[in-house]
Amino acid sequence: QPSKLLYVMHNSEVPLSCMALFEGGPCLTADTNFDVLMVKLKSHFQNAKGHKVECRGSRYRYCDFLIKVGTVTMSSSARGISAEVWPEFDIRDCWNLMREFIQSFLGNNVPELPTVFAAKPEGLFAPADCVDTMTQYLELFNKLRKLQIPGSNVR
Amino acid sequence: MPITSGTINMMEYLLQGSVLDSALESLLHRLRGLCDNMEPETFTDHELVFLLKGQQGNPFILRARRSLSHPTAPWHLRYLGQPEVGDKSRHALVRNCVDVAASHSLPDFLNEMGFRMDHEFVTSGHIFRKGAMKVVVCNVSRVLVPGNTENTERMSLSHLVELSVLAPAGQDTMSEDMRSFAEQLKPLIHLEKIDPSKQRH
Repeated sequence: QPSKLLYVMHNSEVPLSCMALFEGGPCLTADTNFDVLMVKLKSHFQNAKGHKVECRGSRYRYCDFLIKVGTVTMSSSARGISAEVWPEFDIRDCWNLMREFIQSFLGNNVPELPTVFAAKPEGLFAPADCVDTMTQYLELFNKLRKLQIPGSNVR
Repeated sequence: MPITSGTINMMEYLLQGSVLDSALESLLHRLRGLCDNMEPETFTDHELVFLLKGQQGNPFILRARRSLSHPTAPWHLRYLGQPEVGDKSRHALVRNCVDVAASHSLPDFLNEMGFRMDHEFVTSGHIFRKGAMKVVVCNVSRVLVPGNTENTERMSLSHLVELSVLAPAGQDTMSEDMRSFAEQLKPLIHLEKIDPSKQRH
């Protein structure tokens, strides 16, 4: 059986939680004791320490939007810059408003509706939760991990 | 950040025993008198035991528990380490314990990690507390069709009784307190230190 990658992620917005994901597979939200459990499991799951990616920065509030801008680093080498935008409501309902807002500071670099939301059922209010956020961050971090030349444009 | 040092290592101190169903009411009556709560909490839980077989050594065991009486509550994942070998005069079973609250994707997630469900059961009963001590009196039923908790069968005509305390490592006074509490329950029930390795696979 080929080895699978298990990603364990933390987000300062939800400091008492820990998210564990398999890319394209199930995601678990747990409390921070999950990290302690992973230490107990170290003979079954090897920690790929060199692959740790961290994103640090500032968070800003502008009316209904929460904007977080961070620097992404992988083993102390800067790999990119991230921008996270949070509206208060269902992202698909206000996607056009969000695009306009993002355009006002990113110019033409506006991304498409993230795939995690495209997959959600239509017509239901599906608030974006930490799983959706972490899935997007994981996609971004994996793109940055694969970069040969740090600093290339990746959205 | 992965936690490496400075984590509080929690230990579970445990004494176990059983009573025939016919003696249950007397035991509950005694516990109501001795313990803290006015009315004990009742519960019905479904527990699945998962194993991860490694290259060598014993399989890694994880216990995933959910409440059938509060279906939206998070799952409770528990790891129990090997019993601490040491002071034979120590009155209770002591083992490392890690408790994690988890979302409802837990069983699928454990399968993805490589764990396989070994067995499952439904347990229902009462919880009493006295200070840091917890007394659980419950019956255990086997699940006849995997995943179907409606259709269960009692495993025996007795109730399992567990007296436990969760405390940071090094607090050895616990087992003394547990022993004196257990004395007060005699002769209705004899709670003792059980060796789990004699019951495992």
